[in-house]
Amino acid sequence: MMRMKELRAGYLFVLPALVYMLFFVGYPIVDNVRLSLFDVNVMNLASGHQPYVGLDNYTALFNEGTIKLVLLHTFVFTAACLVLQFVIGLALALLFNLGFRMAQRLRGLVMISWLLPATITAMMFKFMFGSDGIVNDTLLRLHLIGSPIEWLVSSGLAMFTVVLANTWIGIPFNMILLSTAMTTIPRDIYESAAIDGATAVRRFFRITLPLLKPAILSLLVLGFIYTFKVFDLVLIMTHGGPVNATQMMSTYAYNLSFEQFKYSQGAAVSNVMFLVLLIVGVLYLKLLNREERE
Amino acid sequence: MKLLRRNVPWLLPVISILLVAAFLFPLYWLVVTSFKTEAEIFATPQTWFPRTFHFESYTEQLSGSSFDIIAGFRNSIVISIGSLAISTSLAIPAAYGIARFRFPGRHLFVLLFLVTQMLPASLLLTPLFILFKHMGLIGPSYWSTILANATAGIPFSVIILRTYFTSLPKELEESAQIDGCNRWTTFVRIILPIAVPGVVVAAVFSFLFAWGDLIYGMTFIGKEQLRPITAGIYNFLGFQSTSWNNTMAFGTVSMLPVALLFIFVQRYIVSGLTNGAVKG
Repeated sequence: MMRMKELRAGYLFVLPALVYMLFFVGYPIVDNVRLSLFDVNVMNLASGHQPYVGLDNYTALFNEGTIKLVLLHTFVFTAACLVLQFVIGLALALLFNLGFRMAQRLRGLVMISWLLPATITAMMFKFMFGSDGIVNDTLLRLHLIGSPIEWLVSSGLAMFTVVLANTWIGIPFNMILLSTAMTTIPRDIYESAAIDGATAVRRFFRITLPLLKPAILSLLVLGFIYTFKVFDLVLIMTHGGPVNATQMMSTYAYNLSFEQFKYSQGAAVSNVMFLVLLIVGVLYLKLLNREERE
Repeated sequence: MKLLRRNVPWLLPVISILLVAAFLFPLYWLVVTSFKTEAEIFATPQTWFPRTFHFESYTEQLSGSSFDIIAGFRNSIVISIGSLAISTSLAIPAAYGIARFRFPGRHLFVLLFLVTQMLPASLLLTPLFILFKHMGLIGPSYWSTILANATAGIPFSVIILRTYFTSLPKELEESAQIDGCNRWTTFVRIILPIAVPGVVVAAVFSFLFAWGDLIYGMTFIGKEQLRPITAGIYNFLGFQSTSWNNTMAFGTVSMLPVALLFIFVQRYIVSGLTNGAVKG
């Protein structure tokens, strides 16, 4: 009797949130699959006469080819951001873990870039990297360049600039998670290594990095998931341009659905993105499980 | 290294301050630009500090145009508070239920919340748009955006609050029940008051998620005057000749709540980030 009551109470506590998520997240995921198998456009959205087309939306997208390019861009963007964020985040974590005065406070300040709306970050970088922005102005004044660089107008540089802006957002996330992981490494390991004559560099590669491995792995997986779905930043800085050079999966899906009103093709692109995230997500859960067992 | 640190103790702090200052330069540039005139913004060489402070980019936009700073700020506040209210009121009991009751499927629930936390907004956008359209919520209403933004706040809040509730001693509830409280009154009278720090983290993050939203606000809200401040910035940047000082004024205003929250609840935010993101 007591046990039944206990069960019911547990479910009652969880139920409202669960129902909400099923309705506003679960249903859209299923509906995305339906949308991608039908032909839904702005003409038949209200009438409901939407023909079933099977996998036509997917084959059309892949035959047309832009999606392959966009997938490649998104992977390149994600990989570049992950590497930069990680290296800089690790460097800052090591610096602030030296434990000098103000270290905590300064580390806290770096967090701001992670908390800001991406819209604002995008706007700032767009302004700073404009052809008459402060970056070009400074480089010109230092005589490092002869004429202004078109950061956001030429395709290779546009990708570089977008990566830079996203790295700025991602650094604190890497730094904080690595700092936290570092504090769990017992001090005496370092002390005994120092007594044995290990240099600081050697201690870093032989002790710090190996012991941080689990934290680093989950950091990279989470970072992948957060970076792969980039949207606001790219939409504002380049709108996917010039000529799709910085078009990402999410901005491409948005473009198809809400600028060309091809809802079904937009849904199909979203599903491809979802598939990638799902694979990486499963990987992450496997990692978590292994860590918990250890 | 050790020798260096002992003899020059100011070296590390000074280097760090310079690094952090360089890192945060974009913020400085944003605020400074909002106080410049259009002519000064494009002067070469650029001025690192405004010659005189101009407040026109703020005052000009306070009224008059169809989308002014006050309207944008109000819209963002309404949307963020609304979504904060929904996500915390649903997430607190859910997190408590998962943390304290042993019922089959609760591990699956944790997993579900963990996965949904990672879903991109652009994935849900099209189906939600069609759903809200059928519900009649697309157009001159905040509701669609509030409801959509809560889907980001709920899973995050559940995950960090679950860790928080699990860390509270069980004896609290046991003694409350001996004193005659039932499950619900125990939760409301005993647990909630102690859980305030955890709830603050959840609330702050739910607020910030909604505050930073662009995609839902600009897609679902048909009426320009009701759109959040981020959508206003997006519109500004869409024009051929951007009026940068006005845009920067918008940016500075929308940075304000983030900065305030940051100053007051910084230590909570750090703990929230590490708990919510890694432990799961």
